[in-house]
Amino acid sequence: MVNGTSTPSAPTAFLGQPRPVVAPLLERAADLAIAQVLDADGVPNGNLAEPDLSQAQLRTMYETMALVRVIDEKGWQLQRSGRLEFWIPSRGQEAAHVASALAMDAADWIFLADREPGAMLLRGASLQSLFAQFFGRADEPLKGRRLPLLLGDRALNIIPCMTQVGAYLPHAAGAAWAAKLKGDKTRFIVYFGDGATSRGEFHSAMNFAGIHRPPIVFFCQNNGWAVSTPTDRQTAADSFAEKGDAYKVRNLRVDGNDPLAVFAATKEALACTDEQGATLIEAVTYRLGFHTSSDNPDLYRQPEEVAAWERWDPLPRMRKYLQACGYWDERAEAQMQQRCEDEVREAVTAAEAMAPSEPAAMFDDVFAEPTWQLREQRERLLAELETELETELETGA
Amino acid sequence: MTQMTVLEALGAAMAHEMARDSDVVILGEDVGTAGGIFRTTQGLQQRFGPDRVIDTPLDEKGIAAHAVGMALYGLRPIAEIQFSGFIHDAFEQLMFGATKYRWMTGGQYSVPMVIRAPSFGGINGGFWHSQSPEAYYCHGGGMKIVVPSTPQDAYGLLLAAIRDPDPTLVLEPVPLYRTLRGEVNDDGEAIGIGEAAIVRPGNDLTALSYGPMCHDVLAVAEQMAENPGYDIEVIDLRSLMPFDVDAITASVQRTGRLVVVHEAPLSLGFGAELAATVQERAFGYLHCPIGRVAAPDLPYGFSGGDEYYRPNKARIAAAIRRAMEFDF
Repeated sequence: MVNGTSTPSAPTAFLGQPRPVVAPLLERAADLAIAQVLDADGVPNGNLAEPDLSQAQLRTMYETMALVRVIDEKGWQLQRSGRLEFWIPSRGQEAAHVASALAMDAADWIFLADREPGAMLLRGASLQSLFAQFFGRADEPLKGRRLPLLLGDRALNIIPCMTQVGAYLPHAAGAAWAAKLKGDKTRFIVYFGDGATSRGEFHSAMNFAGIHRPPIVFFCQNNGWAVSTPTDRQTAADSFAEKGDAYKVRNLRVDGNDPLAVFAATKEALACTDEQGATLIEAVTYRLGFHTSSDNPDLYRQPEEVAAWERWDPLPRMRKYLQACGYWDERAEAQMQQRCEDEVREAVTAAEAMAPSEPAAMFDDVFAEPTWQLREQRERLLAELETELETELETGA
Repeated sequence: MTQMTVLEALGAAMAHEMARDSDVVILGEDVGTAGGIFRTTQGLQQRFGPDRVIDTPLDEKGIAAHAVGMALYGLRPIAEIQFSGFIHDAFEQLMFGATKYRWMTGGQYSVPMVIRAPSFGGINGGFWHSQSPEAYYCHGGGMKIVVPSTPQDAYGLLLAAIRDPDPTLVLEPVPLYRTLRGEVNDDGEAIGIGEAAIVRPGNDLTALSYGPMCHDVLAVAEQMAENPGYDIEVIDLRSLMPFDVDAITASVQRTGRLVVVHEAPLSLGFGAELAATVQERAFGYLHCPIGRVAAPDLPYGFSGGDEYYRPNKARIAAAIRRAMEFDF
């Protein structure tokens, strides 16, 4: 099994009532007002105009998506072989985050969720620094304090998420509001999933945004499932986008597996921040993999549903489009795959060799200056470590 | 020096910092046009404009969470929670948002925000309005907590909170807002967070409190001072996180007796932390068990019931007498 993709032959053992199979919404994109540039085979279908992107930009888009896929497969293997504690797959969601992040300027702020490593790559993060984060190494931007995939780096204007789903939406909106109050031109994007729209903070963020119009894109990756909870158990609404209506927040649905449509929608949202403030984008996508490495979707999801979504996999779709444009061929594909795999392998080796955090470093950064309590507790830990070391030396253990 | 109520001192501190630092903004329910339901922010919107004194929707979680975002970007927001009884809607935002960014980003980001929460009882507002929620917010790291009990401390501690680089919760003494008036040196001098005040020096017993209860403790100490051997030292903690361990330890090592008074419930209240810390540092000096005077483990008061719920002077005096008369 590759990265949690259910194969049709996999035995299913539902622990409750099986969920009915839902056909991909993208098959009815026009009827459901889901903006789309490409059909399932990567051919422009006239629904939405192709965005103005250079050959170099289109290749960057595709190559970043492909690299994210390779990272994801490597991370999954590392987790399954016991070398990584945890993994959060991004398979199937590469287009949604790569294309939207590519639409942002380098000075714009990104608030990540947990399936968007491509945003870090687009801002110039090295593969080694990403794997250093996955391995929880001391010398990565966040000092190894987060679960794998909860990425960020101030140098890249990327803020890691609070893991409580959606709880950070008003942080992004508050930051955007602050930029507006200070008269800065910084713009913001915040990623979250369909489940986050049920949290109070989603509604707080929408409500404040409707009134104060911060320059932000609320980017909802509707991947069909919040762990085992499908859309119809998450909301009775016809879409997640329409939740913006009551708050007078501009909103739209876009094919999240169509990088050109995602790019166009994000650019348009950014273009109207001065007048409209926020836009809520619902990117309709699908989680082809497990929720996390601790999940097993065979217990709640039918293999036919996953197979139907494989047809909308954003990677082959984009590749076919590039080939039709004359920007890509089999040779370029083979070379890129080899390069991605080589670079990822090297990054894994380098990152794994890096040092983990010193235990006492956990006392740093609670406050700007530690309280006396933290200083004392740190001293106690250091004494404990010293005793351990002495015991080891004495017993030769 | 100016004569001010506690309310006026809080308003003066905010006005001072807003004039000094254009990044300071206030947000909360009814803080702008109405000047706050207690009028703490009266006149500030007129002076600094609606972009710096912001009326928000009725949403404590949203107020706290947007303030977190503002602080991440570089503003210094003061978020007002209308009553501390309403603050818990913001609990996750404060304890797992505001207080965790510095740590979870390896020190890359900080959240220099203030949360002002009118707190404590004695106004017969029931648990919906009157709460003493300090223990919840002391636990788990990242929040500083100050509790002023005089106009001068209200001014100096709020200044310190606004200038502090980390999230700081200011539990304001509602029952003293308008009833307590005093001289305030309002020249912009902050009071250090973590510094207690010895409000009455004494040699025979240390009585430790914070917030409105300090005044009751002081009154009892003055009354009992007529009895020989009842020279009671009264310490107003002023800061709970971090608290002034040195001042407390030095005092107890001298007096050998400690009584802690607070109006939060007894079990797992802040007094438990104080008692544990003092016995670790001054065990050999103690002449008697450490006494605690606190509220019962109940919802805060009921209509007309605050006087039975909150520690009163008789209970404080009884606890002091028990400590003084203790015999091994």
